[in-house]
Amino acid sequence: MKLSRILVVGAALGMVPAMWAQRWEFGGGVGGSFYTSRDVTNGATSASASIETNVAGSLWLDNSNGNKWGGEVRFDYERGDLKLSQGSTQATFGADTYAMHYDFQYHFTPVGSKVRPFVAAGAGVKFYHGIGPETVFQPLAQYALLTKATETRPMISLGAGVKWQISHAMAFRIEVHDYLTSVPKDVFVPNVGSSFGGWFNNIVPMAGISYVF
Amino acid sequence: MFGFGQRWSSRTWIARLCAAAWISSAAWAATFGTVVQTGGEASDLALDTPRGVLYIANFTANRIDVMSLATNQIVQHINVGPHPASISLSPNDRWLLVALYGNNADPTPPANSLTLIDLAHGNAQSNFPIPDPPLAVAFGYTNMALVVTSKNYIEFDPFFGILNPLDTIADVTAGTLPVPPVSFPPDITGSSVTVTGDGHKAYGMVSATSTVTFHYDFGSRTISPGGVVLQSGTLGPRVVSTNHDGTLSMAGWIQVDANDVFVNYINQSDNEFSVGTTLFDTNRQLIYAQLPVTKGEAPTLQVLNEFTFAPVDRLKLPENTTGKSVLSADINTMYALSESGILVLPVGNLMGTPRITSPSQSLLFLANLCDASATSQTITITDPGGGSTPFTISSPSAGVTVSPSSANTPATITVTVDPAAFTSHGTTEVDLSISSNVAVNVIGSQRVLVNRADPDQKGTILNVPGVLTQILGDPSRDRYYVLREDNNTVLLFNASNNTQIGTLLTLNSPATLAITNDGKHLLIGHKQSQTILVYDLDSLALVSYIPTSDGGGQEARSLAVSNGQVLAATVDYQNQGHVESIDLVNGVAMQLPSLGVWANLLDTDSVATPSPDGSKILIATSSGNLFVYDASVDTFTYSRNDFGALSGAYAASANNFLVSSHLLDSGLVLSSELSSTAGSTSGFLFTSNGIVRTLAPDSASPGVIERVDPATGLSSGTTRTIEAPLLSTGVFDKSVFTKTLIAVPNHNYYLSLSTSGLMVLPWNFDAFAASPTITSVVSAADGASPPASGGLVSIFGQDLSRANLAESGFPLPTVLGQTCVLLGTTKIPLLYVSPTQINAQIPYEASGAEQMSVRMQDGVSPIFNFTVLPASPVVFTNGTAGPWTNVPLVYRSSANGLLVTAANPVHWQDTLTIELAGMGLTSPPVADGAAAPDSPPSEVVITPTVTLGGVNLTVLSAALVPGQVGVYTVEVSVPKDTPQGLNVPLTVAQAGVSQTVDVRVVQ
Repeated sequence: MKLSRILVVGAALGMVPAMWAQRWEFGGGVGGSFYTSRDVTNGATSASASIETNVAGSLWLDNSNGNKWGGEVRFDYERGDLKLSQGSTQATFGADTYAMHYDFQYHFTPVGSKVRPFVAAGAGVKFYHGIGPETVFQPLAQYALLTKATETRPMISLGAGVKWQISHAMAFRIEVHDYLTSVPKDVFVPNVGSSFGGWFNNIVPMAGISYVF
Repeated sequence: MFGFGQRWSSRTWIARLCAAAWISSAAWAATFGTVVQTGGEASDLALDTPRGVLYIANFTANRIDVMSLATNQIVQHINVGPHPASISLSPNDRWLLVALYGNNADPTPPANSLTLIDLAHGNAQSNFPIPDPPLAVAFGYTNMALVVTSKNYIEFDPFFGILNPLDTIADVTAGTLPVPPVSFPPDITGSSVTVTGDGHKAYGMVSATSTVTFHYDFGSRTISPGGVVLQSGTLGPRVVSTNHDGTLSMAGWIQVDANDVFVNYINQSDNEFSVGTTLFDTNRQLIYAQLPVTKGEAPTLQVLNEFTFAPVDRLKLPENTTGKSVLSADINTMYALSESGILVLPVGNLMGTPRITSPSQSLLFLANLCDASATSQTITITDPGGGSTPFTISSPSAGVTVSPSSANTPATITVTVDPAAFTSHGTTEVDLSISSNVAVNVIGSQRVLVNRADPDQKGTILNVPGVLTQILGDPSRDRYYVLREDNNTVLLFNASNNTQIGTLLTLNSPATLAITNDGKHLLIGHKQSQTILVYDLDSLALVSYIPTSDGGGQEARSLAVSNGQVLAATVDYQNQGHVESIDLVNGVAMQLPSLGVWANLLDTDSVATPSPDGSKILIATSSGNLFVYDASVDTFTYSRNDFGALSGAYAASANNFLVSSHLLDSGLVLSSELSSTAGSTSGFLFTSNGIVRTLAPDSASPGVIERVDPATGLSSGTTRTIEAPLLSTGVFDKSVFTKTLIAVPNHNYYLSLSTSGLMVLPWNFDAFAASPTITSVVSAADGASPPASGGLVSIFGQDLSRANLAESGFPLPTVLGQTCVLLGTTKIPLLYVSPTQINAQIPYEASGAEQMSVRMQDGVSPIFNFTVLPASPVVFTNGTAGPWTNVPLVYRSSANGLLVTAANPVHWQDTLTIELAGMGLTSPPVADGAAAPDSPPSEVVITPTVTLGGVNLTVLSAALVPGQVGVYTVEVSVPKDTPQGLNVPLTVAQAGVSQTVDVRVVQ
């Protein structure tokens, strides 16, 4: 229920600039996915939980009105195994993530400019998806259990980048986003006696190309 | 090159194993192969596969007989000059070369020649006179022939009819004609030459009065010595053979490798030139051989392992073979020269030939507190080819009966033993005789062992078949090794539970074992091989073999490893004993020039043993000589002969030595004479647990184990053992010395070679023997829950058994290690016994209040009262996952099939398989101690209920696990609405009794 409400709000917000729409972009990009880590503590010891660096990809539908404001609906896909480490001991578990979100964009130059730096902020949802093969034993299991499960978390999106108009119908952009969610405890399941909390920052630098119409 | 001589030895073992083989050949009721008569003495044969014929040199009828391979009939005679002694067919199948032996004595002039028969042109003959008697001819791959005469090696070119001298030959004599009556061609020429399967090399043996062997390389046209030169005596049968590439060859009864090392032999005392044959079957890695041990032995074809000489089978022949054999191209038929002409032996059809085999395992009957009445066991007599072969079986003892006494294979024979008929309180051996008028193999007897020990006799018998000759401990690997002489193996045992865990192959007649100082390698010396095998004890791979022939054909019969040298007491070809030093780094053995200031000359029967700290080696000889090697000065420091003759146990320590009952100080001076009233000594140990020894009056009586005070020589703690330790070891050239006892300090017991195989003796054998006591009886699945009908239980207590023993065969025995458990008056099936725990199966028919007692050698436990429930389901919790132990045996059978753990949680819609004990009666029922059948499944009668987090799971099946005893599985499916969590209770309930284990559940 919570997810569907977020999606409805996101869609409604997307309609606002659309009403002023003069210019649309549909595009996609690829880049890297980098996660910060959080500690899982058990008594006086802890292990570091994170998601391994891997590739990321996005699709977006972007709208800009006549002035400097705009917005876009995005779908992001990232590879990246769940990882738990302590010193030289490490446990990993196959995983990927999906995200849907809407970002407002403020451009520093008007529509029609050849170069358009921008900043973005928005919100959406992220799906953490443990997909690794399960085995009877996992190292560092006393801290957390890496689990085959799907977990949905609300997500905040912050970003910045630059768009270049490289032809009448094509635009190229580079950008970096920070996607923030609370730690997913259904895939990083803290074991009995362990505590796990806080936020994952997911830094995603990316380059992409859009069809402008 | 090495000299080699004949050696006489006692071989009573052969009489025991194969008594039938000593009767005359006419007594064989059925024999292997058929005889083709040639009407004269056949001297050689050559196979012509393209023409489908066998050429046979008929020495006395002066012709070549041609036998059809299809009909085994003589279809043609090719007349040649007098006395064809040797023939060979060229590889291009065109020429048959015949050596005509005409070494006539005056006044008849010599008539030695070669005849070349051109098979492609109407058998046209060309004759080539030569001055010296031709002994053998052989074609190589070049289509050139080697001709061996009494004076020369000659190359014969059949294209041009040219004879090219290659080399001269010395010390060869040829018999002159006429010869005395009853002389056969091998007696006259004394020669045999064979060519390797690839045709590149020839190997030969010549001379009628001595032995010269040689190699010939057809490519390089060079002659080289063949490794065997007989300086005295004779070497028969007069036949050589090789494997396909010539890396192994047989000359008479000796097998040599490519480096002329005598790797195996079967020593003969009567070396008749004219009786016997050998033939390699490289594809099957076998050797077919008739190598009679004594003159007049019934003709028997031995089937041997090509590399180890381990016996595979013994087949009764209709008559003696008399020289060379060949194998057909399809390797199915062996053709051998024989007394009447040719023996045709279908070696490729052994599986279709009637034979009889009995189990190699002895039947052991233990009459004690568990089995005092007549008891029965069964054996299955089979034909290895699966045929229905009639046989009879009989017992020479009134106390052992068999039923039925005649049958057709496969047949189950019930052997019943009445202990009351045996007066001895040790172990009596009874050999059941098996005979058949149809089977063509020599049938071994079936050994029955009957032990009737009194409660005071200590020890547990391990029934290990075969001729066991030495035992050696390896505490660092928690193993021990037992030398088995009759099939050329070393048996590896796990010292923690006394189960055999492996086998190492040896060469013929292994005699001695030793472990190198670094603990990495096992050394094995032999009585019928001039080698020491070196095995890596970690990988159990054969590393190398060290030739021991230095000084004259020596065999390493007793090895001792010290901090200095590795020494071996050896025997040379003249039956003289010596000491060799073994250089493990360079892989060589060298006869020591002297033993310090003393000559290096020992008796044939001599032994060497090191002190446990490696500082000394004691060498003892049967004529009473004693030597001490001191590793710190690397020489022999003492030699004595104060006793005239020595035998029995021998041992060394840093400060004392022991031989027989003589306890000696460090200078070999008698410090005390031990009592020998209990019999002959068998084993003796200097250990950290004190000095102990074993004795026995004879093999059928109880033995004795006792402690010895080295200061006074007085014995203490004298305790009767369950059976006699071995008083002599081995069957071939049996030694008067015995080394039968080791200590196993890791597990607090001694181990002795004994009448039945091995005997486990408790560390504190002289301690007060307490009667067994039961303290609890619980489910074996978790060690806590109450037992159920048909369930596996653990019985905890004290003094329940004298040894740790496990059983894995089905049906489970009701007596294990002389311990039995009675439920009421019924002996129940046992899986494991130890002093503090027994694992057993409660009979299915047991229910309600029951009484249990344990019986073993030391007594009977008080009655233990407990209740058996109709069902008491208990999930096994002996699973492991990485470092996690005690994991419940719950499997995700529909997913990955792995154990459910925190890392492999239950998912909704999984199917789980749970392993349990104690689910009670089944339908159809299964006999107590029997493995559950595959089909139909034995389903539990009382249907269980299974819940997960309080949610009922659908039970798909609940039945016994096929092939196991008392182990059940329940299969359930997990619905979608099951509660999730790290520890969700999984409960199995049956007949009002439930058990819960926690599992992790996720969506």
